Amino acid sequence: MDKIFAIYKKEVKGFFFSPTFYVVAFFCSAVMSWLYPIQLSDFLSNLKNQMFQQGMPPQALNAHYALFIRHLVNCNLLLIFIVPALTMKLFAEERKLRTFDLLLTSPITSVQIVVGKYLSVLTAIFAIMLIALSYPAMTAFFAKIEWVPLMIAALGIFLVGAVYAAMNLFCSALTESAVIAYVMAVILNVSVWFVGAGLEVVDSPWGRQIFEHISLNSHLVGMVEGTIRTSGLIFFLSVVFLFCFLCERVVESLRWR
Amino acid sequence: MIEVSGLTKSYGSHLAINDLNFTINKGEVVGFLGPNGAGKSTTMKILTGFMAATHGTAKVCGYDVFESPIEVKKRIGYLPETPPVYLDMLVFDYLEYVAQLKGVEKSKIKSSVNRAIEQTHLGSVQKRMIQNLSKGFKQRVGIAQALVSDPEVLILDEPTVGLDPKQVAEIRDLIKELKGKHTIILSTHILPEVQSTCERIIIINKGQIVAQDTLLNLSKIKSGSRKVKLKVRNSNANISATLKGIAGVLSVEKQNGGVEWTIDTEDNDEVIEQIAMQVIQSKWGLSEITSAKADLEDIFIKLTYGQAEV
Repeated sequence: MDKIFAIYKKEVKGFFFSPTFYVVAFFCSAVMSWLYPIQLSDFLSNLKNQMFQQGMPPQALNAHYALFIRHLVNCNLLLIFIVPALTMKLFAEERKLRTFDLLLTSPITSVQIVVGKYLSVLTAIFAIMLIALSYPAMTAFFAKIEWVPLMIAALGIFLVGAVYAAMNLFCSALTESAVIAYVMAVILNVSVWFVGAGLEVVDSPWGRQIFEHISLNSHLVGMVEGTIRTSGLIFFLSVVFLFCFLCERVVESLRWR
Repeated sequence: MIEVSGLTKSYGSHLAINDLNFTINKGEVVGFLGPNGAGKSTTMKILTGFMAATHGTAKVCGYDVFESPIEVKKRIGYLPETPPVYLDMLVFDYLEYVAQLKGVEKSKIKSSVNRAIEQTHLGSVQKRMIQNLSKGFKQRVGIAQALVSDPEVLILDEPTVGLDPKQVAEIRDLIKELKGKHTIILSTHILPEVQSTCERIIIINKGQIVAQDTLLNLSKIKSGSRKVKLKVRNSNANISATLKGIAGVLSVEKQNGGVEWTIDTEDNDEVIEQIAMQVIQSKWGLSEITSAKADLEDIFIKLTYGQAEV
């Protein structure tokens, strides 16, 4: 446990004492600061005009749907590209600079290495989520907002971020080049959103069920709307576990290859 | 302390090391000598649990490297060819991190780090970023890293490669200081390093051990011959012939226009005496006479490169 914490602490320091994280955080907040006010004024003008527009869907008048979910979806889009930037060096660079030799010749297991590094990425994603949540928090100064569904939706996005982190950490372990790790990771992150598209080409009900279940989207939708389902949680956690496990196998295999 | 038997490692069809057998006792300083690509690093990597062997077993402190790697790693300090330092960390923080990884007790971490810093004379740079250090200091940080957990066994893979002569001398002194406290394995292809630091030598070539013995015994391999260097003031045409006349002189070679001579003799102290007497009697103006045992370099070249010709 101490050793996991040692690795965790070292990597977290590596994030927060290096410019990379701040550059990433800056671009995140720049994009959000551009989009959030636009979405906010959009929402406000809808509210004002609701009397004149009879056919407007009720969701467009709900701050959670019309404002916060749109904001979190932007956040998710950013995470697809940010998380690989955070994870890419964690294994690839260590292997390239031969500092990995130190880890492999220290009395620690591959599991401890992977868990320590994974938790540090989660911390960095959590920090990004805090930045994202500061926008609704600002809105709370002049409007009453429902925090619970917002937090559940944010948890949903954080879990998706956790899935990215696991997949991208795995990509980083596969190669010695941080650039290749980044590209692989982005492709993987984008592609999980297209798995659900299989739903439209498969006819058998059995196959449809499988696709429905492995689609990240169908599990996220529930959380984004403010409901926590155990099936969703289990799905996210098992994907995280799967990729952390694969990553651990890759690290372990470096010892005997 | 370290027992290796039948150790073999192959990369595909290439045999990096082939059936190595040796034992190293507690407190010994052993030099692992061989030309580049002989399999030195491979052997060390296997001993540290960094990679697995294809066949054979290796035991460190009674623990099998493959069956209980964690126990072995607790007892080993390893300096790989490239020191595994994080460039963006401070020296002190880095050593603290390594101490945590090696499982040093929490209460002892600070004191172990300070001890390692003191041993490697890093005090003046401990608050500096590793990337700003010179190569020599980085190498010392690498050694400090291996020492920080006060391991029973120290494995140093080419610790002085790429350093300037002063730094090389410093690192050698450091290794001498560590003698007795740790069992040390030192790999190198630099001979004086072994001569100045090691008690026992294992010479490895093309993945096989070609000789393993103490320095003293190895020097006897080429026994029966001794080199005498002679320097005279008055060069003389007769020198060669006269010296060859002395019993026990095998060959005489002229160097530097007849001022310096290299004489191969039998390994016998009397011969030197005879030569000295002859020089003085003939009034050639003796200015220097030294006797050099067949040096390690000769043995090394004979055992490694010589093998290819046989």
